[in-house]
Amino acid sequence: MTNEVDEYLEARIQRLLTEDATIAEQGITVQRREQIVVLGGEVESAQRRDEICRQINTHFPDVEIACDIGIVRAQAPTEVEEIS
Amino acid sequence: MIRIAAVGDVHVDKDVLGRYRPALEQLPEVADALLIAGDLTRHGTVEEATSFVTEFGELAVPVVVVLGNHDHQSDQQDEVAAVLTDAGITVLEGTSVVLDLHGHRLGIAGAKGFGGGFAGASASNFGEREMKNFVGTTVRIADQLGATLRATECDALVALTHYSPVPETLVGEPLEIYPFLGSYLLAQAIDSAPTALALHGHAHHGSERGRTAGGVPVRNVAHPVIKQAFNVYQLLSEDVDSGLVRA
Repeated sequence: MTNEVDEYLEARIQRLLTEDATIAEQGITVQRREQIVVLGGEVESAQRRDEICRQINTHFPDVEIACDIGIVRAQAPTEVEEIS
Repeated sequence: MIRIAAVGDVHVDKDVLGRYRPALEQLPEVADALLIAGDLTRHGTVEEATSFVTEFGELAVPVVVVLGNHDHQSDQQDEVAAVLTDAGITVLEGTSVVLDLHGHRLGIAGAKGFGGGFAGASASNFGEREMKNFVGTTVRIADQLGATLRATECDALVALTHYSPVPETLVGEPLEIYPFLGSYLLAQAIDSAPTALALHGHAHHGSERGRTAGGVPVRNVAHPVIKQAFNVYQLLSEDVDSGLVRA
């Protein structure tokens, strides 16, 4: 099987992101470009981002991956919203 | 005046320990309670629940949570809830709690919620057993949430769910997956009581603000949406005060 960047590959990557116990992320976006797959979204730690990229590269070694996943900031808020 | 802090989808495991704590230590200065809208853990294991308690436990304000779909992944949701309860965290599922916060009674009714979609594009309780189970689950949860909201006597009533009651706070997510992100039945339950605010998570790519058909403000507090440790909302304001909580 070749790893062409098609919609079936995108679906396989999305399922891996959610169903692989080492990842379990539902908030990662997968964008197919001409010769590359771009992963986006945010996760809770750098370890999780690195593990996602490692797993995708392991499972799909012929696919070029750009890992644009960020880490969600966790600073204290500075404003309050009044609800009315 | 009551100030409540809220966040959802924190997905705690060992690798997250310490990330939220500096902000959480400031909570007593900026809020009277912390509400967490589900997905406390990654896979819903007892070990992860213990990590969650390490990060979000022993705070100087009451902590009230609902579980999310991730907290059900390992079929240990009862054990997870027990770990949280033992740590003094209130876990709601079709139940409510009333907090006495310096003379004001804050009522919080909570449930995980479930999917099904929104008016005009929703699943029906019809056909295969699997489909009826899916929609029937949402109907049961929403009915219980509505009954609990209506029975909660307080000065300010908040609905806390993981799944969304409205589509407006899902904007940014693919339209095709809206039925997996929430249900109008939750909004109908929220509108059946004098709810002041509805909080939910689950939609990481959604939007922050919406309203139910009945006019109740809805806030998506999923961590990737609010992009900070928690948001702070002010209820029962004597005066308009939208200034800084703390520099």
